[in-house]
Amino acid sequence: MDEARRAKLKDWLRGATGAADLELGAMALLSGGAIQQNWALDVTLAGREEAWVLRTDNAATLAVSLPRTGEFALLRAAFAAGVTVPTPLYLCEDSGVLGAPFFIMRRVQGIAAGHRVVKSETLCGGRDAAVQALGRELARIHRITPPRADLAFLGAPPADACLAFVAEQRAALDRQALPRPVLEWGLRHLERTAPPPLPPVLNHNDFRTGNLMLAEAGVTAVLDWEFAAWGEPHADLGWFCAKCWRFGSAYEAGGIGAREAFYAGYAAEAGHAVDAARVTWWELAAHIRWAVIAIDQAARHLSGKETSLELALTGHIVPELEWEILNMTGVPHAA
Amino acid sequence: MQREAPVGPNLLATARDALLQEILPKLSGTDAFTARMIANAMAIAAREAVQDDDWVAAARTTMQRLTGATAAPDRALSAAIRTGAYDPGSKHHTEVAALLRDAARRRCAISVPRVLGKA
Repeated sequence: MDEARRAKLKDWLRGATGAADLELGAMALLSGGAIQQNWALDVTLAGREEAWVLRTDNAATLAVSLPRTGEFALLRAAFAAGVTVPTPLYLCEDSGVLGAPFFIMRRVQGIAAGHRVVKSETLCGGRDAAVQALGRELARIHRITPPRADLAFLGAPPADACLAFVAEQRAALDRQALPRPVLEWGLRHLERTAPPPLPPVLNHNDFRTGNLMLAEAGVTAVLDWEFAAWGEPHADLGWFCAKCWRFGSAYEAGGIGAREAFYAGYAAEAGHAVDAARVTWWELAAHIRWAVIAIDQAARHLSGKETSLELALTGHIVPELEWEILNMTGVPHAA
Repeated sequence: MQREAPVGPNLLATARDALLQEILPKLSGTDAFTARMIANAMAIAAREAVQDDDWVAAARTTMQRLTGATAAPDRALSAAIRTGAYDPGSKHHTEVAALLRDAARRRCAISVPRVLGKA
C-alpha cells in the first residue's frame, strides 16, 4: 500500500475511532485471494497497541460472493449471536479511501490451514473436543433466522432449500461449456430423495476445515462469511462432514474428529438432535457443489483471462468428486 | 526414422523426480507449495500421455445407442438423466450406471489415481 493510501487510511481511522492521535504501524498482506485481500494492521490507539485485520475487495470479485459491506453485517450478527468471530470494528463504504469498501476487525491467533489442522491431536483440547466446539459454533450460527432487517441484502429465504439447491446447480451446469452426466446423475438422485423443507436459518455456506481458526485453547474464529445465505441447517453440517473437505484424514467430521462428537456438540447447543439422513443428503450435495465450483475455476484458467496453475489443477479434482458421487448414489464399483 | 528417446512421459517423470528430490527440499512456504503443484501437473500430463483413448469412442457409441443422438450424445445423456429417464428401476439404469462408473475410473486414472488405490 503506497504512502498516499496509508495517509488516507490513517485519516479515516482517526475519524472512525475518534482518536486524533491514532498512529498506523506495520501493514502486511496476509492473503491475496481471488476474491479479497486481508491486511494485518498494527495500530497505536490511545497509547495501546492494537492488532487488526483490514479486509477489502479485489478488483475482480466473484459475482456469487457478498460485498464486504454484507460480510461486515454478517460478522456483527454472528458476533451478537455468540459465534466466535473476529470482533468487527469499523466499516468504510467509501471507495474513495482505498479504492473499494473495506472493514476492520480484530486480529485473532490460531491455525486454519486444513492440512495442518487435521494432523493436530492437541488443537482445541483434542480431536473430539474440537469438533464438539465446532458443532456448538454452527448451532449458534443457525439461531440467526429470517427476517432480519440488518441482513436484508440476503434476500428472501428459499421456500424449499433442497430443491432450490438442485435448481441452482442445474442452472450453473447449463452455463458451463461441457455436459456433466455424473453431476446430473447426482442431482437427479438428490431431486428424487429430497426431504421436506425446514424453517430457514442462516447458512455460513463455507463452514469447513480451512476456514475455521483453532488454537490449543479452543476455536478462535469462524472465518470467510462471503457465501452466507438463508437455507437449511443440515447444508452446513453436510459441507463440514463431506469427504472432499477432510484433507485426506479418516476422521469424518472435517478430518478433525468423530462425526458423533460433532453432532453431539451441535445438538447440545441447538437443543435438538441432528437428522443424520439429511446430513447425508447434503454431503452428496457438497460434492456436486464443489465440483461445479472446481469446473468454474478451471474455466477461468482455460479462458486465458486468469492463467493459474492452481486454478488449472482445481479442474483435476472433478474426477475424484465424480467417483464419490457415484459411490454415494449406490453405483457399484465393478464396470 | 523415429523421435529421439527419451520421449514425453519419460522426460516428465525424470524432470519431476529432479524437482521433488533436488529442488523441493531447498524450498519452503509458498515456493514449496508451488513446486508440489508443478510436480502434480507433470504427473497428470505424463499419465495422460500414455492413456489409451479408446474408451472415449466406446463411451460415445454407447451413449449414441442409448439416446439415439448422433451429434452430442453426452449432452443428450445428461438431459435424459435430468428428466429421470435412467432412474432406478428403468430399463437402462444399470447400463448407464456402469457407463458413468467406467468413465469416472478412466478420468481418475489420469487426474487422481490415488482414488483407485494406485499411487
